[in-house]
Amino acid sequence: MNGEMEILEKVKKAFGEKAETAPKWERQSEIKVPLELLHPLLGYLRAQGFGHLAMISCVDWIEEGEFELVYHLWSYEKRLHLLVKTRIDRENPTVETIIPIFRIAETYERELHEMFGIDFPGNPNLTPLFLEDWDGSPPMRRDFDTRKYVEEKYGMIDLTKELWKREEPVLEGENGED
Amino acid sequence: MERIEHFEYFIGPQHPGVTGNMSYHLWARGDEIVKIVSSVGYLHRGFEKLMEYRFWIQNVPMVPRICVPEPDVNEILYAMGVERLAGLEVPERAQYIRVLVLELARLSAYLFYFAGVAGALGLYTIPQWAIGDRDYILDLFEELTGGRVYHIFITPGGVRRDLPPGFKEKVRKVLKHLKDRLSDYDRLYFDNALFIKRTKGVAVMTKEYALEMGVTGPNLRATGFRYDVRRGDPYLVYPKLEFDIPVTGGGDNYSRVMQRRLEFEESIRIIEQVLDMMPEGPVITKLPNPFRWKIEKNDVYVRVESSKGEFGYYVVSDGSEKPRRIHVRGPSYTHGIQVAQEMAVGLRIADVPVFLFSMDVCPPDIER
Repeated sequence: MNGEMEILEKVKKAFGEKAETAPKWERQSEIKVPLELLHPLLGYLRAQGFGHLAMISCVDWIEEGEFELVYHLWSYEKRLHLLVKTRIDRENPTVETIIPIFRIAETYERELHEMFGIDFPGNPNLTPLFLEDWDGSPPMRRDFDTRKYVEEKYGMIDLTKELWKREEPVLEGENGED
Repeated sequence: MERIEHFEYFIGPQHPGVTGNMSYHLWARGDEIVKIVSSVGYLHRGFEKLMEYRFWIQNVPMVPRICVPEPDVNEILYAMGVERLAGLEVPERAQYIRVLVLELARLSAYLFYFAGVAGALGLYTIPQWAIGDRDYILDLFEELTGGRVYHIFITPGGVRRDLPPGFKEKVRKVLKHLKDRLSDYDRLYFDNALFIKRTKGVAVMTKEYALEMGVTGPNLRATGFRYDVRRGDPYLVYPKLEFDIPVTGGGDNYSRVMQRRLEFEESIRIIEQVLDMMPEGPVITKLPNPFRWKIEKNDVYVRVESSKGEFGYYVVSDGSEKPRRIHVRGPSYTHGIQVAQEMAVGLRIADVPVFLFSMDVCPPDIER
């Protein structure tokens, strides 16, 4: 627990009040920074021993018109996980690539580019990863409706009405007699 | 006359070199690979998106499908994430049963792995043996959970049911069988001159490179870095159990296989302790009504040590009945795309499937 508070205080000292730090769970803390401080902060943390970038997540807060990028860092020596969070505008999402800091970020940025439509200037390989000939809006955004897309693209056969149609019972002959 | 610079080859999408649908595009000059590009997308099922449409408890049957050879890590990760966010306590007996299931799954995944590497080398007796031995573990799973491959057994709050009568004895019998078999495997496989010649010194990965590229799990330990999530970021009852973290340290195909062979014994050791130490008690806590189960706005990253490396879930809740976002970190994501593209250059064509199998590249967890 001591090492945890130590690194959070160091970050506070180096980056001032703009970096909001808070311990979150056991061996897990979060740091919220504005976008302009993201790259210096990641470089600083890498130098402090946070060498393992577990992944880069994106959460679509559509109500607030923002994407939240979460960089998951882990330090093998300090045994501490950091959630480095930054918010970007949903309309024009652009973040400078972090490949110079973490080389492994290339594929994660490639996926975010494809699934959320975030642009990463500086990433040389933003080609499609999972999808092929995709023409719709980025599919992991909250406003992308999978069912609607399937209905429009492929069409859907709705059997519910036929299967659950109630018919009046037909009686053969009068009063049900032969 | 036009000179041919290199030949192009394709591994996959259906090929014994990869356990799932995924392809690699190879450019070779003579017998040497000069360029390799991975191509994924054959298995993308959009689970992360589908989970956002379902209630918290409805996702339980879906998550194991994310990784086919070892599905239980997904169940435990989803359960751990939801338990942390909802503040649920898991009964101790359930935690022991979870460790039992996870370690049995690890054994079965390693047997699958041994079969895969041996098959890629053309040693076809070993796959027959390993898949046969794996079936004993699947039989145990069938008796415990009702399912052989997907168990849907670990749910938020505990496990679905208690051990059936006489189950511990059956597990002990299977473990004894596996331990006895290891010496046979050693003679046929791990001490086999052909196996050693084909794998030693091939595709060497240094410790620095592995750390830089986010390589985790047995592949990282095979480069000589001693780290295991079960010790480094412990979960369940692993701190109470006694086991070692073996390290081989060559970083080549041979050490990656031998690393798993050593960890195989440690997993057997863990299961034996779990069977002895398991306390009596309930196996699941009471859960709220699933249709009205709201979880406070919060987020958490949980990770476990899978047979392939660090498996992680980032679970985000926005205070409603459904998850806001669940992001899955599969260990093969880094191993199978960027690392494979860089490491396979310079290998011979026949060594590429062996290399991919020795890294345990598993396409289903790349694509989710």
